[in-house]
Amino acid sequence: MQTKSAQRWIDRIIIAIMAVLGVFMVLPFAWLFSMSFRAPGEAYKMPPSFLPPNLDFRNYSAVLHSSVPFLQIYWNSLMVAVVVTIGQLITCTLAAFAFARLTFPGRDSIFFIFLIGLMFPAQVTIIPIYLGFARVGLLNHPIGLAMMYLTSSFGIFLVRQFMRSQPKALEEAALMDGAGYFKIFYRISLPQLRPALSALGIITFTQTWNYYFQARVLLEPQPAMTLPIAMDLLRGYMASGNLSVVMAAMSMAVLPVILIFLLAQKLVIEGVTMSGIKS
Amino acid sequence: MEMIARTRSDLEKAQTRAGYLFILPSSVLYAVFVLAPVIVTFILSFTYYDPMAGSHWVGLENFQRFFTGDRSLQIFGNTLCFSLFAVTGNVVVGLMLALALNRAMPAFLLYLFRLAYFLPVIIAAAFVSIVWGYFYGDDLGVINYYLVHLGLPSVHWLTSSQTAMMSIVIMDVWKNTGFFMIIFIAALQGVPRNIMDAAIMDGSSYWRRFFRIVLPWISPVVFFAIVYASIGALQVYESIVILTRGGPGDATRSMSIYIVEEAFDNFEIGYAASISVIMTLVILVITTLQLFASRRWVRH
Repeated sequence: MQTKSAQRWIDRIIIAIMAVLGVFMVLPFAWLFSMSFRAPGEAYKMPPSFLPPNLDFRNYSAVLHSSVPFLQIYWNSLMVAVVVTIGQLITCTLAAFAFARLTFPGRDSIFFIFLIGLMFPAQVTIIPIYLGFARVGLLNHPIGLAMMYLTSSFGIFLVRQFMRSQPKALEEAALMDGAGYFKIFYRISLPQLRPALSALGIITFTQTWNYYFQARVLLEPQPAMTLPIAMDLLRGYMASGNLSVVMAAMSMAVLPVILIFLLAQKLVIEGVTMSGIKS
Repeated sequence: MEMIARTRSDLEKAQTRAGYLFILPSSVLYAVFVLAPVIVTFILSFTYYDPMAGSHWVGLENFQRFFTGDRSLQIFGNTLCFSLFAVTGNVVVGLMLALALNRAMPAFLLYLFRLAYFLPVIIAAAFVSIVWGYFYGDDLGVINYYLVHLGLPSVHWLTSSQTAMMSIVIMDVWKNTGFFMIIFIAALQGVPRNIMDAAIMDGSSYWRRFFRIVLPWISPVVFFAIVYASIGALQVYESIVILTRGGPGDATRSMSIYIVEEAFDNFEIGYAASISVIMTLVILVITTLQLFASRRWVRH
């Protein structure tokens, strides 16, 4: 009896500690949003504020009217992320269907070759891609960055695993009725894949939104940049005085990802962790 | 009889054709943007690349240069050192957080905790590093403000070569540990209830249970976490670029930064390629080791 109440107290203390730590986890985000509403002159006033003093959008309009083509950059990021997400949803699902449902010579070895791709860092592909893009004129075009990621080993793996956990009786019945493979894929398999596809879509979008290394190498001039690189540039431009303006730009840059996270927390967490648990 | 045989082989043919057709888009993209570049990088790493005067084969010279240069060795050391601390920090803290959350609590609390601890995971390192850059500032930094306020000496978070790397590690753990927390929570929930209950009945202590039952049970996940964290840490780039630009001096320069500088600032393509090959080989070795290790002593 006593140990039980002792256990309850331990639970409470640990939860309290976790709550305090949890506040520290979100503090940087609170600071950045609050800062984006502070008058530029007060940016460095101490103590720092973690709650917005008032809703003053002047810093936001300063970003849009700065010498950095912020809207163009925002559009680039959005375009790349959307194109990559749609592209992966199509290519990965098609390939996953073949690997999960069809038998053909070399299937397992080809799948294995795709899996090996999970081990190659971007660093080992970037130099030839840079040289190749320079040759065909894709350097400094955001679409080039998007093209690199139109398929992914991880996506194929994720959808294939999910498909294998689904019953295939319906598909077999349709085959008996003489339906073609594409029809089976489109009419029967695809509708069952909704959870896997939304997870893949969300991970792919956030991942692409966050790419830095590749974007920095491939997209040099300002109008071609994506947000993560532009943010570093903005910081340099506006240096000390206009910290609030940088944070206004940052708030706009993190907004889509935070919105997705708040709306689909469960899917995001499942998806991102799935992106880990593959081996 | 013949009829059936024919339809069966027709079916096989149709299936083969469909199979290749379905994997065609992915295969082409994968070959162009992953396989071919990897092969080209390997070839480049054995050459001196000069598109004007002509490239030539130099054997292992690039690798020799990397492993004999003082600067490159320091950068290699930096990367390994960062990885060691970041991986340990991420995995240990993640496991501790998971253990803390793996208890009865109201659902909305759990929801809030997961929200708070996972938020940094999904925001680009490029973004959060800028925020942390201001936190870490010497005179105007938020952290030093509170340190001084509490009567403590202020710290040169990013401007001293002794502390800069640790500051980056701290931010990295803050950013990524939530990911490991989540996979450890999932693993902990798989520990069989009846074994735990029996151990509790036997009166074994919390830590004894942890080391005797829980840790062995979740060891495959721990292994996986270590490998996954290592692969990420070895590639560390944007957090360092943004926080210190590799400085002070070369104190925080990582292999990724070095590759980009050599390849695209100095146009030492062959040398840069050899560095990326070395990075890939390290990743390969860690992954293979994990595969063998997990086969050998996981879950006895």
